[in-house]
Amino acid sequence: MKIDRRSFLSLGIGVAAGTAFSPLPWKLMDDVSIWTQNWPWTPVPAKGESTYVNSVCTLCPGSCGISVRKVDDRGVKIEGMKGHPVNQGGICALGLAGLQLLYSPDRIKTPLKRSGKRGEGKWVSISWDQAISEVAGKLKELRTGGQAHTVAGITGGGPNTLSRLFKRFLAAYGSPNFFNTPSIDNSYRLALQMMNGATPDATVGLDLENTDFILSFGCGLLDGWGSPVHMFKTNTAWRKTQARVIQIEPRLSRTAAKAYQWIPITPGSEGALALGIANVLITESLYRKDFVDNYTSGFEGVVNASGELQKGFKQHVLDNFSPKAVSEITGLDPAAITLLAREFAKAKAPIALFGRGQGKLPGSMDEALSIHALNMLMGAINQKGGIYALPTPDCQAWPAVPPDAVADSGVKEPRLDGAPSDVYSRLNQLPPAVLSGKPYPLNVLLVMEANPLYTMSNSKSVQEAFNKIPLVVSFSSFMDETAQNSDLILPNHIYLERQEDAPLPAGFSKPVISLSKAVFKPLHNTRHAGDTLILLAKGLGGSVAEALPWKDFEACLKQAMGDKMESLQKTGYWINTGAVFPDGKTTFTTPSGKFEFASSAFCPGFTPVKIEGDASYPLLMIPYDTMRLASGYTANPPFDTKILEETILLHQDGLIEINPKTAQSMGLSENDRVLLQTPRGQANVLIHLEEGIMPGVIALPRGLGHTAYDAYIAGKGVNLNGLTGPIADPLSGLDAAWGIKAKLSKA
Amino acid sequence: MSNSDDRTQTVSGKAAEASSTNKPDGSSRGIIVLCFCIGLVVSLVFGWVVFPRLLYSRKQQPIDFNHSLHAGLVSNGCESCHFLRDDGTYSGTPKLAQCIDCHQDVQGNSPEEAKFVEQYVKKGIEVPWLVYARQPDCVFFSHAAHVKAAKMDCVTCHGNIGDSEHLKVYEQNRISGYSRDVEGASLIGFKKHTWDRMKMDDCSECHQKQKAVMGSVQTQKEGCFVCHK
Amino acid sequence: MKAEENHGNTKKFGMVIDLDVCTGCGSCMVACMAENNVPFRKDESDKLKSITWMRVYKLSNGKPYPETDICYLPRPCQHCEGHDGHSPCVSVCPATATDYDMQTGIVSQIYTRCFGCRYCMAACPYHARYFNWYDPVWPDGMEQYLNPDVSVRMRGVVEKCSFCIQRYQAAKDRAFMEGKTDIEESDYQTACTQACPAGAITFGDLNNPAHAVYKLKKQPNAFRLLERLGTNPKIYYLSSREWVRRAGDNYLKNEGPAKIG
Repeated sequence: MKIDRRSFLSLGIGVAAGTAFSPLPWKLMDDVSIWTQNWPWTPVPAKGESTYVNSVCTLCPGSCGISVRKVDDRGVKIEGMKGHPVNQGGICALGLAGLQLLYSPDRIKTPLKRSGKRGEGKWVSISWDQAISEVAGKLKELRTGGQAHTVAGITGGGPNTLSRLFKRFLAAYGSPNFFNTPSIDNSYRLALQMMNGATPDATVGLDLENTDFILSFGCGLLDGWGSPVHMFKTNTAWRKTQARVIQIEPRLSRTAAKAYQWIPITPGSEGALALGIANVLITESLYRKDFVDNYTSGFEGVVNASGELQKGFKQHVLDNFSPKAVSEITGLDPAAITLLAREFAKAKAPIALFGRGQGKLPGSMDEALSIHALNMLMGAINQKGGIYALPTPDCQAWPAVPPDAVADSGVKEPRLDGAPSDVYSRLNQLPPAVLSGKPYPLNVLLVMEANPLYTMSNSKSVQEAFNKIPLVVSFSSFMDETAQNSDLILPNHIYLERQEDAPLPAGFSKPVISLSKAVFKPLHNTRHAGDTLILLAKGLGGSVAEALPWKDFEACLKQAMGDKMESLQKTGYWINTGAVFPDGKTTFTTPSGKFEFASSAFCPGFTPVKIEGDASYPLLMIPYDTMRLASGYTANPPFDTKILEETILLHQDGLIEINPKTAQSMGLSENDRVLLQTPRGQANVLIHLEEGIMPGVIALPRGLGHTAYDAYIAGKGVNLNGLTGPIADPLSGLDAAWGIKAKLSKA
Repeated sequence: MSNSDDRTQTVSGKAAEASSTNKPDGSSRGIIVLCFCIGLVVSLVFGWVVFPRLLYSRKQQPIDFNHSLHAGLVSNGCESCHFLRDDGTYSGTPKLAQCIDCHQDVQGNSPEEAKFVEQYVKKGIEVPWLVYARQPDCVFFSHAAHVKAAKMDCVTCHGNIGDSEHLKVYEQNRISGYSRDVEGASLIGFKKHTWDRMKMDDCSECHQKQKAVMGSVQTQKEGCFVCHK
Repeated sequence: MKAEENHGNTKKFGMVIDLDVCTGCGSCMVACMAENNVPFRKDESDKLKSITWMRVYKLSNGKPYPETDICYLPRPCQHCEGHDGHSPCVSVCPATATDYDMQTGIVSQIYTRCFGCRYCMAACPYHARYFNWYDPVWPDGMEQYLNPDVSVRMRGVVEKCSFCIQRYQAAKDRAFMEGKTDIEESDYQTACTQACPAGAITFGDLNNPAHAVYKLKKQPNAFRLLERLGTNPKIYYLSSREWVRRAGDNYLKNEGPAKIG
């Protein structure tokens, strides 16, 4: 028997036939096709029970209610909380991306101690015990040496229990140097204090729902001003009631695009325009005479300290701010000013608002008073649709800080920023004081929920000042610029992991407190900054420990919230529904016992804020804010950077907006790479031609140019603060700058 | 026609020449047939017997759960443990928290129960059950729609698993990664019971029978998003 | 019966987006990405490759300063019905991976079915479809926030807005549990609609007179994108500004905006 070719072929045919009649090829084909559809490295999220936990978002001062969707223990989505008085279910792009912050691999997961040079990025993990004892040890040493006042604390958080506790800690320790991060809220408070006799703790209340004419002097009402989602909701309501928004700013922002009318004027001339409008209102007797006559002083005349009668607001405005004179300052047609004033006067409940962009900077006080004078002229104070002082919801008073000799003498030392009290921090004055070492050197800086190295203007000098501080302690949850340049990091839980009260939302109409809950168990070895402060106090012992007697922050919060705690825990917020705001009533604590247009201390005028830079800088660079860029302590999460337009960020480059006419005169076209120079610094940017910006003005967004955080935001675009510098306001001492002179040259 | 005939003749002539030199005798013809048969039988045996064993990996469940025993103890049938949540999602295999109510300590004398209490309950570890009927991630299956709205019995799709005393071996396709209960016990698609297979065509078959309106423009069956996600 | 309403008694989900109210803030885009497991990369500047089921476009009237005007236009998948469900993408798909459902009016996309030929992307006049050029990768640990109700897409397939179909499924499940056979308007809302802080998006059944969209789409200011192409889309836009309504299609100077339907 011989197996030849034929038999071999036959065997093959037999195998083929057998295979064809077996399931093998068919089943394999099916399985392989399924196999091609499944990519094992593509994650498959685990299923589980879906629940919602209500809390409040504290990523910005908006204090929106949020509903966090969880699947078992995982957080899968953040949504707006339905029925929350502030945001009524809406939510912004930043709030939506909160879980990217929670689950970021770049969070600080444990206390860290610097092991290399400062800023080099070399750290060793240390235990909490070591971290606390190191900080407490240093603080103790300074306190014993009579140097308690050389310790300072910066917080970026709003006026909530945590920042009150921080302030109390410093006071008990013996330092007057508690700094909050100033914003337009400070200017509103000051304006209300000076003109309306509000108490320093009262914030601004705006009855925006009932206004029908909004004269917005550059307020980014739809770009993140006030409580952003609340403003969006209000704007939609205005559409229905046909309220008119007049947006006055040199750039066609989102607010301007949605406004009834966009009036571009020369940047920095807003105050003059307000007084020009006042001029028309007075000349044509369009103001509410009954209100001005009965409830105000300083309109006709002011009696100065030596008893002489001086020019009042009226005469001052009539003399200096005729439409023609204002036209020259603002670049606006005199007839347009007159028309605008008449429209403003015709409205039932007009309101004039100040605070440019998102209101992150306090701005010029002169401008604030001039604009607020329009509200006084129209009687829009404590009236429906008007502006009023909103008392901070009272918290249960903590027992007084126990008297202590060191603390008493420490807090009596002058503040480093030269501010008269700790109500307003002139944070912009801190770097020069640190650099000069006067009135005394700063030895320890504690930074909580703030990133001054990124958010403060004139970055270079802030960095230099930081270099001079021997010990910088950060409480940050993220490796932000400040944390990167610190010596010790005592990481705080992220907002979704900790319980705290959210402050009153900016520019809201009613007093509200919301409770931010610990929606998740802490993912890492972090600690609530409140607990850390209490532990530090215990480590210091003595009167400091007595001043912070609570077992933990929760106990401290419970005591502060008192009877409100129940409602807070049940619904997530507490609202004073009984109180009617504005109530039409007033309590006058002004010297005259009336609302004051002017007094011996001040008179709204127009002293233009000097813009830095000489004639060699032909352009004016202004900052702008967008809802798609977080520019405060929190850096943009990946989702929000993803939705940035390619006209703001192109690959790693930031773009600067310029009018095509201006660009043409300089021979620049779209996406040209240019060197942007200001008196404070320089940077490489790309050109973006934009018709909606005044010729001669260029605009750069805030929120880019991070050097720290994660690979999704670091190294992208330019930090505006490296190119600008602060200008101290003569009245408030706060930063009044808005923009700087600049020049562009082809790079 | 004639041309092609000629050509055929020529070809067959050549073949005849060739075969005359190497003509198969009776025995070699037999070998050819035998080889064919061997090939046929071997491949059939491989395809029908060996291949299925190679294709599926066999895994034992971590605990040999006795459905029959538990079914007698609970009040609400299958739904006592495999329940629908209020939002209509299906809870699936019970979590440790559900078992703990009774099994904090060993109740009976089953070695499997002792193993369960020792290895999982005491240590607080979830049992890594192998789910026979688990559909791939691209599938959206609503138990609520079938059990609540269509009032179907569990048995219709899952068979009499509730009466079983032991858990059967979990067979997983080595290529596709799917459970054999989803792909079907029979490799040629033979199906005796409704629960014998749970592939797309099986869903579709029943849906076509039950539903009057078919949404899909492309297939004239139900819309893709009814079962896919 | 008008061409745009030929679904008979079935549901026809659609949207009305009020462009007068939309501020272009981008919440809808992030809400969509968070809900639907859309991946992100370190550099998303190339917007042709940047996957955004919902994308907000910026329109300009093209006039020089200071007559310039801009408007933002959110663009989800338009869920075109075409004629009898033959939307541009459905007609060209060789894999039956995308389909039009006459029961809901939703254009589906089945990722495991798609083999990435991208015919549908070429066919879609709205750029609403996106191709996964890259493996979806989440930074270590961030995959924890992924939504189990939505499949994560693999490299090489096309994806697009699904009108949050998983929310429709969930709404139906909830209704079944309550013994109901149908869902209410508020039971099923897309993630973008729910998130929009300005309330610019209204979502519902275009065939149901009780739903808000039914009335809104009939407003005189309503228009649809590329009306004259005959795609019969289910996203309606409202704008009081004529230049915006004209921007919805490539009109010649002497043409007015086309009538819907």
